[in-house]
Amino acid sequence: MKCKSLVILLFVCGFFALAAAEEGSGPPDSTHVDSIPPPTPVSMLTARDSENDHGHSVTLMWELSTDDGAGQNSVLSYEIFRWVPFFMDTLQSIRDSLAGAEGTIAEQLRKRRDQAIAMIPGAHKSYPEQGGWRKIGTALSGQSSYEDVGVKDRGSPDYMADHTDYYYLVDAVTADPAIRAPSEIVGPVQSFGQFFNTGRIPVFVAVLVFGLLTILFVTRARRGAELYVRPLAGIEAVDDAIGRATEMGKPILYVLGLGSAADIGTIASFTILGRVAKRVAEYQTKLIVPCYDPIVMTVAQETVKAAFLDAGRPDDYYEDIVYFVTQSQFAYVAAVNGTMLRELPATNMYMGVFFAESLILAETGALAGSIQIAGTDQVAQLPFFIVACDYTLIGEELYAASAYLGREPILLGSLKAQDYAKAAVIILAALGLLAASLNWTAFINLFSVTS
Amino acid sequence: MRRQIPLALVFIFGVFMIFQYFVPHESSEWIYEFLLDWIYIIGIFALALGIWSLIRVSVAKIKTRKSGWGYPVITMAGLFLMILFGFTGYRDGSWGFHFMTAEGLSNPMFRNFFDYIMIPIQSTMFALLAFFIASAAYRAFRARNVLASLLLVAALVVMLRFNPYLGPFGTIIADTASWLLNVPNLAAKRAIIIGIGLGMVGTALKIILGIERGYMGKG
Amino acid sequence: MRRTTIIAMAVVLGLFILSWILRSASYVTVQEHYLIGGLKVTFSAFLTLAILSFLYKDNPFYKFLGIMLLMRLSRNRGWLARWPLAFIVGTTAGLNFVRYLRSDFMEQVSATFVPLFVDWKGVGYFISHFSLSASGQFVAIVANWVIFLGVICGIIYFFFSKEHKGVFGAASRVGIWVLMITFGASFGYTVMGRISLLVGRITFLFRDWLGWIS
Repeated sequence: MKCKSLVILLFVCGFFALAAAEEGSGPPDSTHVDSIPPPTPVSMLTARDSENDHGHSVTLMWELSTDDGAGQNSVLSYEIFRWVPFFMDTLQSIRDSLAGAEGTIAEQLRKRRDQAIAMIPGAHKSYPEQGGWRKIGTALSGQSSYEDVGVKDRGSPDYMADHTDYYYLVDAVTADPAIRAPSEIVGPVQSFGQFFNTGRIPVFVAVLVFGLLTILFVTRARRGAELYVRPLAGIEAVDDAIGRATEMGKPILYVLGLGSAADIGTIASFTILGRVAKRVAEYQTKLIVPCYDPIVMTVAQETVKAAFLDAGRPDDYYEDIVYFVTQSQFAYVAAVNGTMLRELPATNMYMGVFFAESLILAETGALAGSIQIAGTDQVAQLPFFIVACDYTLIGEELYAASAYLGREPILLGSLKAQDYAKAAVIILAALGLLAASLNWTAFINLFSVTS
Repeated sequence: MRRQIPLALVFIFGVFMIFQYFVPHESSEWIYEFLLDWIYIIGIFALALGIWSLIRVSVAKIKTRKSGWGYPVITMAGLFLMILFGFTGYRDGSWGFHFMTAEGLSNPMFRNFFDYIMIPIQSTMFALLAFFIASAAYRAFRARNVLASLLLVAALVVMLRFNPYLGPFGTIIADTASWLLNVPNLAAKRAIIIGIGLGMVGTALKIILGIERGYMGKG
Repeated sequence: MRRTTIIAMAVVLGLFILSWILRSASYVTVQEHYLIGGLKVTFSAFLTLAILSFLYKDNPFYKFLGIMLLMRLSRNRGWLARWPLAFIVGTTAGLNFVRYLRSDFMEQVSATFVPLFVDWKGVGYFISHFSLSASGQFVAIVANWVIFLGVICGIIYFFFSKEHKGVFGAASRVGIWVLMITFGASFGYTVMGRISLLVGRITFLFRDWLGWIS
């Protein structure tokens, strides 16, 4: 009797196994009998489009299996499955052929690939018949979320199309991979890009506040409000340094730094160069401006030419005042050093973005007996300029220098706006100190940018 | 008009880049990458202008036989030799000029110039920093005022922290040096960075709004 | 070889056209011998076309702004070069604006939100567990205070539109002291790094090359 029941039981099991195999590939059968009892599956599985991204990503979340860290404590990991139509294999084979192809064959394959990619959403609509479940990732026990991230590059095998129906399920897996519990299937879910990144709202608020402050103070300055600015030793020394060079009959060397024309430090340096060039033109002193970047050279030439025009001496300007040297860091500094030791300028000005070569420049200038005024926003180079130069503009003082030299109300107005922003920083820091001490996490979270 | 269009361009592209920071959508990303590619390409064209400037200045010095005119000769020789080696390569069994491919980069002379001339010279220049730092330290550590003294003391403490010959003072100096590097260093750097950040942000805004125009010249 | 010849001819023809466009022929005859001037123009145009062809033979659109930049060489059309410049400056200004507002402003400010009293469990606990060790509560509290005051005083030092007098002046003075200590510490740290570079070069010379040291 017992034998008969066992045979019947085995027959029934075999029948179901065959039926499952005929349906196509699917998640491993979880009815295999072993010493570990099957765990409970995850519950409350949800799938939604990932937030604040450019699309091509779905986030899954679930409640942990009751056997994860509790109960039977048998769950070691979770395996995530996504339903993939068989059509994707055809697409992959086209991609594989394209990889080795050239010329017209490659063109044709590329067209076929693009046509196939356009058919992906349609292929996914054939769920559940024309496809199967594929494992796409693993999460460890204790993890209750997983992000299925694809790429936007259509040529890549990891490409994940937007606006396509995706279906997921999660298996709770034990030490024996055959013993697992599948969850409910969740879907269809579609991925798509967002139009506003809500994680960056604090930055958005800061942009608005800062913009309004600047416009407010610039408008006030235009109306003629008096603005006091404290004296900066480095700026006051510029005039004296130019005078010194004129008396000694020696040139002035102005180094714009190793930044590109787009770096803010270099742009601040252009404005200072314009002011210096105007005074140099008035005193008829020689100016030497070796450049590291060709675009910087172009802009500097324009600036110096305009300054000479402003000073009423357009004929004194010649193209070779500002010249290009090289775009190699130490080759550039070697060339500038050579210039310093041959021309023996009375004044050296280093304004802009500098890197490791800053000390070599400053020391060689000191050897040549020049007065040196430096200004940089590179925090790592400030100690060297402070040690080796006579005057140094620290960080923000470089950006303020253009306002100091020109004394234009609008530029001074924007300096005032920056000062108000600094006052706001001090107040916020004090509030933050209180918040951290009293655990006001809401205030602290106002400043956290999540993506 | 000649100034209005560039200012308008600055405004349009500046505002777009601010806008795209908050829009993660693919279309905004695509335009962002497209614009960045343009910046690289313009830089390449600018290289031609730069090289012309260099040749002009060097040739002028050579022609007028200014003192030290041998150096521009070496500069020009180096420039033309590297270009020649970079554009010649061995392909399909023969030597030839190759402009559209990278054969020149595998030219042995190009590689030799790079590996045995450029790299050693650059490393040596970098190593010269050690001598310069010693001379800078000598001149700076004369403690003319309170600030210079503070700088001197802090530098000395940090320099001595790994010294094995200081006995019991060694640990005190090492701990003080670690504290200096982790606490006041952090505070001051943060203050400078906040100031630089505000300055940069202010200057960027002034550029976008057309208030800061020094980079454009006149006329 | 045939391909190379065709390319070379195309380049030469191209630069003749470029010279005509830039009117550099008339420009250089005023200044110097035509041949030298022509060679200079030829060379830079040659270089540009060669680089261009190498990189972007498929997409002419990219070359548009770049060619505008080359208009810099022309006396009459030089102002056109401002357009690509404006494009670069505007794009990077916009990019830098948001990036630095986040990294150098917001993240730095929020990092300054440190608690006044770390792991505070009451005065009695503090006194009974008082120690000067680097991981102790006292050192952590002092560190937080120094960081907070250092940042505030450092920012006060950078105020431009207010006179540094009275309490404000005192805070500004503390700020510059903290800055000087930082610069000294950074300088000392870098000295050690540079000396190690020198040691590397000397080791190369005396060990790897001369073999005088083992």
